[in-house]
Amino acid sequence: MIRYILGRLASILLTFTVVSVIVFLMMHAVPGGPFDGNDMPVNDAVKAKLNASLGLDQPLYVQYFKYMWGVLHFDFGIPFQSPGETVLDLLARAWPPSLILGGAGVLIGAPLGILLGMAAALRRNTWIDYLASAFATLGLTIPVFVISMALIMVFAVWLNWLPASGWGKPNAWVLPIIAYAAIPMATYARYTRSAMLDVLNKPFVTVLRAKGLSERRIIFQHVLRNAALPMVTVFLPMFIGTATGSIFVEAMFRVPGLGAYFVSSIELRDYSLEMALILMITMMFCLAYLISDIIYALLNPRIRFGERK
Amino acid sequence: MTPALELKNLSKTYQLRQSGGFFARSTDHLAVNNVSLTLPRNQILGLVGESGSGKTTTGMMAMRLVEPSAGQILVGGTDITALGHAALKPYRRKMQVVFQDSYSALDPMMTLAQIVAEPLHIHGLGTGAEQTEQALDMLVKTGLDHSYGNRYPHELSGGQRQRVAIARALILHPTVLVADEPTSALDVSVKAQIINLLLDLQAEMGLSILFISHDLSVVRSLTDKVAVMFQGRIVEEATTETIFTDARHPYTRSLLDAIPVLNPRDRRARTFLTRAQIEAATPRLSGQDGRPELLDIAPGHRLEAIR
Amino acid sequence: MSDTPRSPLYFAWRRFADNKAALVAGAILLLIILMAIFAPLIAKTGYADQKFLTQAYAFPQAEFWFGVDDLGRDFFTRIVYGARVSLTIGFTAAAFSLVIGIPLGAIAGYYGGRADWCVMRLIELFSVVPPLLAAMLLGALTNGGFLTIVLIAALFGWVQVCLLVRAQVKAIAQKEFVRAAQALGATPGYIIRRHLIPNAISPIIVGFVLAIPLAMMLEASLSFLGIGVPPPTPSWGQMINVGMNFMYFYWHLAVFPTAALAITVLATTLFGDGLRDALDPTLKGR
Repeated sequence: MIRYILGRLASILLTFTVVSVIVFLMMHAVPGGPFDGNDMPVNDAVKAKLNASLGLDQPLYVQYFKYMWGVLHFDFGIPFQSPGETVLDLLARAWPPSLILGGAGVLIGAPLGILLGMAAALRRNTWIDYLASAFATLGLTIPVFVISMALIMVFAVWLNWLPASGWGKPNAWVLPIIAYAAIPMATYARYTRSAMLDVLNKPFVTVLRAKGLSERRIIFQHVLRNAALPMVTVFLPMFIGTATGSIFVEAMFRVPGLGAYFVSSIELRDYSLEMALILMITMMFCLAYLISDIIYALLNPRIRFGERK
Repeated sequence: MTPALELKNLSKTYQLRQSGGFFARSTDHLAVNNVSLTLPRNQILGLVGESGSGKTTTGMMAMRLVEPSAGQILVGGTDITALGHAALKPYRRKMQVVFQDSYSALDPMMTLAQIVAEPLHIHGLGTGAEQTEQALDMLVKTGLDHSYGNRYPHELSGGQRQRVAIARALILHPTVLVADEPTSALDVSVKAQIINLLLDLQAEMGLSILFISHDLSVVRSLTDKVAVMFQGRIVEEATTETIFTDARHPYTRSLLDAIPVLNPRDRRARTFLTRAQIEAATPRLSGQDGRPELLDIAPGHRLEAIR
Repeated sequence: MSDTPRSPLYFAWRRFADNKAALVAGAILLLIILMAIFAPLIAKTGYADQKFLTQAYAFPQAEFWFGVDDLGRDFFTRIVYGARVSLTIGFTAAAFSLVIGIPLGAIAGYYGGRADWCVMRLIELFSVVPPLLAAMLLGALTNGGFLTIVLIAALFGWVQVCLLVRAQVKAIAQKEFVRAAQALGATPGYIIRRHLIPNAISPIIVGFVLAIPLAMMLEASLSFLGIGVPPPTPSWGQMINVGMNFMYFYWHLAVFPTAALAITVLATTLFGDGLRDALDPTLKGR
């Protein structure tokens, strides 16, 4: 077991290092530095000085190692677009709206999706199944900004029930959260349906039925337990996915969250913030995968037996 | 005359890697242990044993489909153990294989004519039209008429598919055929047809067959000689007649006892032995524990004993 | 047994024809494709012609089916040409995904071991990087453009193709007809070409069709953020972005591109799902 975790850890560390190097190189391949824009009235001498003060004149690998050393101490540098604070400060300021949006989206969407998926699997080929499948396909295929657009048109523009943008009043939260909840709901409905159908078609379920066990006990004691396994593994990575998926929701509803800063950091060539965002999200993805691998190994007796053998 | 196929001290060790990627450790598993066999020309040698005894691995090593960890493979007297892909190719023409599962043995996306012609195609023999013609002739030889040429495997029954597999194996006129349980997935009546087909073709084409099976009644009706495998080793080898009348090794006897008897009056006392019981009952020469060894106890009769 | 021999693909077609949703989706997709191909015949002006400046913002009416946009262009023309951009990017990106995904998947599945480990690590790399963020970064880096978007979409689209092909090849490589070919002295290249890829045709088709909507979504998202296809080339994502600014006053500028994108992506996905179910009944519902 420990060997398995160490192996996963090594492979994920390798992945993370490769990602950080690639992102770092890509950031520096962006044509022009932060002070090259035409709108910046800076002459060459001042530019050189500014670049030197930020360490931009050193060889690339030195910059990389310096940066990663800082990252290990949670020092992501200073964002060019807001030099008065550190990247960490800025992220701390931008994080709460994204977290509320993403958290509420997952907490509402996931249970609804699971229920919908269960209903679809248990009432296969009825209207519930078709409805759930239609929902799941819609939620998974339609880009989230299209869903947002539809919500805004209907509830804000035509019916005028809710505000279309802003973050001040709680009633402004409703539409973005609904838009966001669509993705976890669709994902979970689809996963739950296929995981449950998988288990329901297994011979052991037929055996349980033949034994005369009530359908309810079959579902709750046997089917759900076996179906939970593949679902646990998608949960954490999906939660992290909220961080990236929220970009469009935030852009559509003009929410001052991480997504908004990500977009502006790309436009402004803000290396520090950009790298910090991508690295943090990559790191969280890595951790999420590692943890779900471990949970999977803990929950799956087959892997444990394989270890002992 | 040199034997068609000779296996000398073949062994196969599998490393069982445990999951875990980078830090995985591995343990060794000896699947085949020091097996020597001789397949004389125009004869059928049965290789029997339970599943997991290493008989299929031995057959696959003889075909160079699995690389042996130690030992030699001789085809018509030539050592092919270390030959590379290109050097091996001419010898591939001389030995062919028929598998147990006729369904997965035929590519579902190809027509029967394409399947049977494939060996000619791989070895670049003849034009496309000639290859197809030969393939159809071979199908007829195995009992399927010309109209089957453009059918697909899923349209056939198990027995018919096995005929196609045999046609493909024999189209290059090999001298050695390794038949890995070719009848164990078939119904009894179909089984008999396939056995007769193999016997006919063996006589007609001068084949030597290594017949791998756990079905002793089939082995009895088909083979000239039988080798019994247990735990990766050959524990007894003799003519078919001797094995069925005068078996000496406890494992061979328990295998024979497992053959179902049709007439209840003939029912005899059966012995079903566990692995430990068999090892305990293996003949000992000195009464002490030692290494098992194959000894000649009569002309053509080899038996494992602990020295 | 039927009288005429039927290849396995024939049965896949029969299963597909029984799936009404997929059939309808396929018909809609075909209609959109035809619309994209014959755009110059359907549209009344070129996609960038500002011929109706005096009627800018006009609502849908008999003369302008979808109204006129903010720059005086016939909006129906823009939407029709938008299909061209969206579909071209979708199909080329999916084709590029196959070019990367098929060989890598086949190699990983056939050889296993070290080759498989390397390909799986590569895939892991792509699974921890948020594709949209990376795409946005790449888009910003290169200032968008048609080819860039195709390449970015392929860069993230090949993973699914590769996984599908790998799984299928892995299963097929265990089959005894592959062993039989090896016993005949066939080279790995021959086996992959003649046995493994033809038998992996189902996942390849499915991977191709399902990569199309992903690429279309990526293009729309990037264009929506202003780092995709540069104007005046019509892109639905870009139009939605513009439409948002006018949605309280001129609803048609927001509604039509949104609907066009939603319908196209949905039709392609449903068509792809139907194909998958028809080609490989064991994959159903994944």
